[in-house]
Amino acid sequence: MAEPVAVVRDVEVAFAGRRSLLDVLRFRPAPPIRAVDSVSFAVAPGEVLAIVGESGSGKTTTANLLLGLLPPSAGHVELDGRDVARLGRRELARLRRSVQMIFQDPYESLNPRMRVADVVAEPLRVHRVLGSDAEVRERVREALGEAGMTPVDAYLHRLPFELSGGQRQRVAIAAALALRPKLLVADEPVSMLDVSIRADILNLLRALADEHDIAVVMITHDLSTVAAYADRIAVMYLGRIVEQGEARAVLSDPQHPYTRALRSVVPVPDPAARRVPQVLSGEMPDPSRIPSGCRFHPRCPLAFDRCRVEDPPLFEAGPGHAAACLLVEGAPAAKDVRD
Amino acid sequence: MTAVVQATAPPTAPIAGTRRWRAALRRPMGLIGGGMLLVAVLTAIAAPLLAPYDPYAPVRVTIFDIFQAPSAAHPLGTDDGGKDVLSSLIYGARVSLIVGFSAATITTVVGGLIGIVAGYRGGRIGIGLMSITDFFLVIPEIALQIVIVAIAGQSLVNIILVIGLLGWATTARLVRSQTLSVRERKFVHRARAIGARDAHILRRHVVPAVLPLMIANTVLVISLAILSESTLAFIGLGDPTVISWGQMLNFAFNRGAISAGAWWALIPPGLAIVWVVLGTTLLGTALEDALNPRLKRHHLEKDRSVAVPRSRLPLERHVGGTPSTVLAVRDLAIEFDSPSGPLRAVDGVSFDLRRGETLGLVGESGCGKTTTILGLLRLLPPGGRIVGGSVRYGDDDLLQLDSAEMREVRWSRLSLVFQGAMNALNPVRPVGDQVAEAIRVHERGIGRRGASRRAGELLERVGIGRGRYGDYPHTYSGGMRQRAMIALALACRPDVVMADEPTTALDVMIQAQILELLAELGREMGMSVILVTHDLGVVAQTCDRVVVMYGGRVAEEADAARLFADPQHPYTQRLLASFPDIAHPERRLQGIPGSPPRLDDMPTGCPFHPRCPLAFERCPTEVPPPFDLGDGRRAACFLVEPDRG
Repeated sequence: MAEPVAVVRDVEVAFAGRRSLLDVLRFRPAPPIRAVDSVSFAVAPGEVLAIVGESGSGKTTTANLLLGLLPPSAGHVELDGRDVARLGRRELARLRRSVQMIFQDPYESLNPRMRVADVVAEPLRVHRVLGSDAEVRERVREALGEAGMTPVDAYLHRLPFELSGGQRQRVAIAAALALRPKLLVADEPVSMLDVSIRADILNLLRALADEHDIAVVMITHDLSTVAAYADRIAVMYLGRIVEQGEARAVLSDPQHPYTRALRSVVPVPDPAARRVPQVLSGEMPDPSRIPSGCRFHPRCPLAFDRCRVEDPPLFEAGPGHAAACLLVEGAPAAKDVRD
Repeated sequence: MTAVVQATAPPTAPIAGTRRWRAALRRPMGLIGGGMLLVAVLTAIAAPLLAPYDPYAPVRVTIFDIFQAPSAAHPLGTDDGGKDVLSSLIYGARVSLIVGFSAATITTVVGGLIGIVAGYRGGRIGIGLMSITDFFLVIPEIALQIVIVAIAGQSLVNIILVIGLLGWATTARLVRSQTLSVRERKFVHRARAIGARDAHILRRHVVPAVLPLMIANTVLVISLAILSESTLAFIGLGDPTVISWGQMLNFAFNRGAISAGAWWALIPPGLAIVWVVLGTTLLGTALEDALNPRLKRHHLEKDRSVAVPRSRLPLERHVGGTPSTVLAVRDLAIEFDSPSGPLRAVDGVSFDLRRGETLGLVGESGCGKTTTILGLLRLLPPGGRIVGGSVRYGDDDLLQLDSAEMREVRWSRLSLVFQGAMNALNPVRPVGDQVAEAIRVHERGIGRRGASRRAGELLERVGIGRGRYGDYPHTYSGGMRQRAMIALALACRPDVVMADEPTTALDVMIQAQILELLAELGREMGMSVILVTHDLGVVAQTCDRVVVMYGGRVAEEADAARLFADPQHPYTQRLLASFPDIAHPERRLQGIPGSPPRLDDMPTGCPFHPRCPLAFERCPTEVPPPFDLGDGRRAACFLVEPDRG
């Protein structure tokens, strides 16, 4: 595999939480909220990595880490082989060009007063990468073409309200492509779009990875949208990656009870295949109150005594496939993959 | 809701710069105000040409020149100094407008800068700046103005500075709140993610969004400044070397105009002040209306007009609905008003809902799903109108009921679960109380205690737990709110629950919980459910029957099993091909090219033909009726026409 574009190593992000009155009275500092806790992964050029989790799982914090919008409290984020924390301001700005983001809501993420051409040109102007206006115009047309907004001339001078949701998302993608990034971070890129349009946007992201060797990190709560598009899947729960591996392996043979539950609640468009989904009761706990031991144990249908006290690391469950569950440890192939 | 937005969106294009300005000026209020201000400005500019005399020229005055009544030589008479009132009035426009515009400029620049900095930076700087602003807001302005002018001297420049520098606080507050909201918009987050610095974000995103409002506000401030100047001049603190309307009033008042009966020295300057202040206020208000998004009104208006001819006849046409039919919708047609005439959002929609069944209403956004169910409940947004059809419920046609009868039925018999649960819950009342209230409104005999007991049971049943009865909606998570919404909808044990995208904004796990809950409760209470959704997976897992809508019409209707196994309408086929199936990740998904038709651009013939891969000559010219394919199955496509060879 080629050198990874981005490497995240044992990263932790902690925010200061709210101090309760009791804390104040006892002169105790606010308890830290660990939004992300010992998370490690890497993405290679041309690879699509899906980070799957519910809201509160830390997936958006992970996206902000990759974009350099948030410094890790511990651990390292490396982009293009260089540790982001050690870079000067100018180098960081240069590096940040190579990571671009696509947002969830194409209705909100485009400035309603800016024309398509200006939206796509904005990153070029911000980073002053191209000298002349003619070059900027040329790059804008190229990017729009790559994002499938053809014929380009028909769209250059449109305002966002004149476009459909899918077209808006393509414009946002074109703006991200204008800087020729090496890594695209897409935060729920299709969840606000109609089903009929989702496939096209996902096909586009896949094509960008395949044809332009761009690494794509797709963040989503919905396993079904990434099933056909991701090379690898990382499942997050309460700030941790609880399972990761090849997409096929994770989907066909999920190892972590949480992944299994997540997999089972995805509605299948086939009434004949109606099965009893394994619906977990309750909701993900507050990140300021992470359960002891395995953080999933209060909701886990298979939890046993050790789960309440031991915090399981990722155990290997197959080639390139790992899950943070004590049940996986017991399996013959198991070994602590962090070593 | 999306359907409704689409329905009303095309005519009132959002935000697009110059359109809004023009829209403001096109309103009668803006037009009149602008015209009045323009007259004043032109008068001020052309003063030397218009005025019959030069009021600044020294004149020799005799006793007979003072307070002369209007005459041919002096159309508005003369004042206490024997000067022509009309000329003073014309020249006075200059001073009033100069003071107004200059002071308003100072206010806007100072207030705008402080507002933008306070709003954009936030934190300590923001709080500090806003504390100063609040301090200025509570100072009684006119008193301070009097003191400062008295001390600093009565020159025009001092007056302008005093008015300008004391009036910025209101502008600052307004600009700050607008900046705050822009700062949190997603496109500003996106700019930050691109790597843009603050200067760029301010220049390209924040200022353009705030500027229109600032300008509207400036126009309003002009009128305040003119009033302030007049007030100061009237109480003798004006610049004695210039002629302003306030000054004229001051002199006339103090030098016996009233005792002399010289109304002409008092009324014209008074009216001039009213003229300019009214003009700027009208213009400013019109601009603010058009430019300030916060003032936009939107809410579900209750019981919009039903323009269906009053008759009890249509009931006959329901013969054929089986006895188990709870709700029979026939030929429902709904229109929305637009500047170019009424637009048809729902056109000839018919379906039956049977007792205890879950019916899926599916299609892309803008296909009329939400409009249909809001129409059934007669809860269409403003501008929407039912123009035809019937909705039979029991022995009644809902469209023939009067408002009071409809209120009885709505919620207690037919209730609705909204998409955005937060908007549907009252934020300042405990959730339990809201459920109890819904019960009491519809079951008068139950009493306070009975209602709250039932509400507690319901909260327990939907998985919230009695313990949270007294908590407010904002302390609930998204999933909990949707559960509360369901409790609210089920409070009166309705026959029919309509759920509009009840799980769209929720995580998959919570979505599964909510759907399971709805299905369970439906079974328990024998309710019928109409589930509006674009998620075919949800439909497959929960619905007994499915109605597929496109372009405001029913494209296909069938049992869920048959629809998924063997879709007949090309639209249904394409919709299924675009939907991911986690059981078959290897299947390549295909989107449907193009987008659903806009109401103001509805294709002729079959609404789907421009996107249909199988369209042929008949499709653009004829509207396919729903062809009956047996076993309760219908499809509106010429390809399935039974008589076709």
